Amino acid sequence: MLKKILLAIPAAMFAVSVQAAEPSDSPYEVLTELLSKNKDDLYLNQSQQNLMIMPDDPALFTAEEGEALFKEKRGPKNASLEGCDFGKGPGVLKGAYVEMPRYFADTDKVMTFESRLVHCMVTLQGFDKKDKQVKKRHGSGSDMMKLTTYIAMQSNGMPWNPRMDHPKEKALRDAGEVLFYRRSGPMDFNCATCHGQEGKRIRASVLPYINNPAEWTKAVSWPATRVGQNNVRSTFHRVRGCLYQMRYPNLKQGSETATALVSFWTDAARGQPAILPDTKR
Amino acid sequence: MSKNITIAAVVALAMTTAGCTTTGDGGMSGGMKPPSAEARAMAEKLTFAEKGFVQDQPMQEGGTGRDRLTQDETQKICTDVALSGKPIDDATASKVRALAKASIKYPSGGIKLGDWEKGRVLAWSGFGFRTAHKPDNHKKREPGATCYNCHQLATDRTGGTIGPSLTNYGKIRGSSDEILKYAYDMIYNPNVTFPCTNMPRFGANGVLTEQQIADVMAYLFDPNSLVNK
Repeated sequence: MLKKILLAIPAAMFAVSVQAAEPSDSPYEVLTELLSKNKDDLYLNQSQQNLMIMPDDPALFTAEEGEALFKEKRGPKNASLEGCDFGKGPGVLKGAYVEMPRYFADTDKVMTFESRLVHCMVTLQGFDKKDKQVKKRHGSGSDMMKLTTYIAMQSNGMPWNPRMDHPKEKALRDAGEVLFYRRSGPMDFNCATCHGQEGKRIRASVLPYINNPAEWTKAVSWPATRVGQNNVRSTFHRVRGCLYQMRYPNLKQGSETATALVSFWTDAARGQPAILPDTKR
Repeated sequence: MSKNITIAAVVALAMTTAGCTTTGDGGMSGGMKPPSAEARAMAEKLTFAEKGFVQDQPMQEGGTGRDRLTQDETQKICTDVALSGKPIDDATASKVRALAKASIKYPSGGIKLGDWEKGRVLAWSGFGFRTAHKPDNHKKREPGATCYNCHQLATDRTGGTIGPSLTNYGKIRGSSDEILKYAYDMIYNPNVTFPCTNMPRFGANGVLTEQQIADVMAYLFDPNSLVNK
């Protein structure tokens, strides 16, 4: 018994020291702590206005709606999503979002969060991919964004830690890195054209730099309210927006190509606290 | 001889004020481990995977998504440079410069300035050639030159900082034949001066027409242009 307690003490101390945030911390508190450590960072500190909006971020209501949807028995199979395994066991949401993309043995695939959510809605709840509950991916009013925001929020303040245990996870992450630097199209753009230097701006907007993890965690902290769009947006919505400006053809969500990009960009924020949900311009 | 010195001085001034070196832009930072051959092979496979990018999506210039993703020699070389985590070496830089030089076509009547006000509209516009989920319709609107995304030009609008400020461009540099050619080359194919630069090849890649380049040039050089006020 004594031995168990003695063993537990360092374990508990370790647990406290690695935890980036208390469960009670709000996304606002996670971000303000990040800002206090990076007071001169141009990207992180570019919008006082967004910071002021954050405690009342509409995404918090989107998450509340998502919680109800998550627990509700829905679909042809009349099942809730509480049986969905996001990588840490059925129904375990805490910390699941920051460990994705990850490999799932049941599909033998590395999956992004979005792909996994679709997988559960189809296999557990019996929805068809063409049903509006699954098909509508964008906008605060969509089931997908409500569910995503709720589930992501259960990882708020935790360090990004996409799994690299399976060879397929590492292979996709590495291919994603090459894609990030691959130049093509009529403008010769790669992702690094905009994200390869620190403190640069596209017109008035300061861009996040891929090799600055403190900046990059905010860059990849989606879902986030896009204030200018008055909607909560997803990871893939951001990727798609970049590719659009890069003059690339459309990329299919759920493809290995998309997963590779998301694996690399999540890995670039490794160890930094996720701000979920975030508020952006 | 004195003409050569003048040209060299103009180019040196332009390069200094451009704030650039011959280092390739948009690459991995030094000290990072370059990706393996396997990762590069997989990235190529994923780029052209049927279920990834929409390979047969029609593009505004004709052709498909696959064509947009297919790299020409400059893009291949500059991707290698970006993945190396090192500045571009002299031999590679010379090769990229030579490719660029061969790509540049000059107007039959010589380099002339167009209409600065039209150039201003083009410089402001980020429209054109975007496809993905909502393709730009070039029949409804003329593609722009996207200058303000990366450059400060006139001070009536905030410009980006990926490229250097071009405020007072003509006022500072005058409008000698040498500087006009330098600016024309920068717009047409900037790799001739800055190998593997971030800046697009607006002429060589067919993004801007000869007339549009003349109008953008006027925006930079015309004494009445807001860039020089």
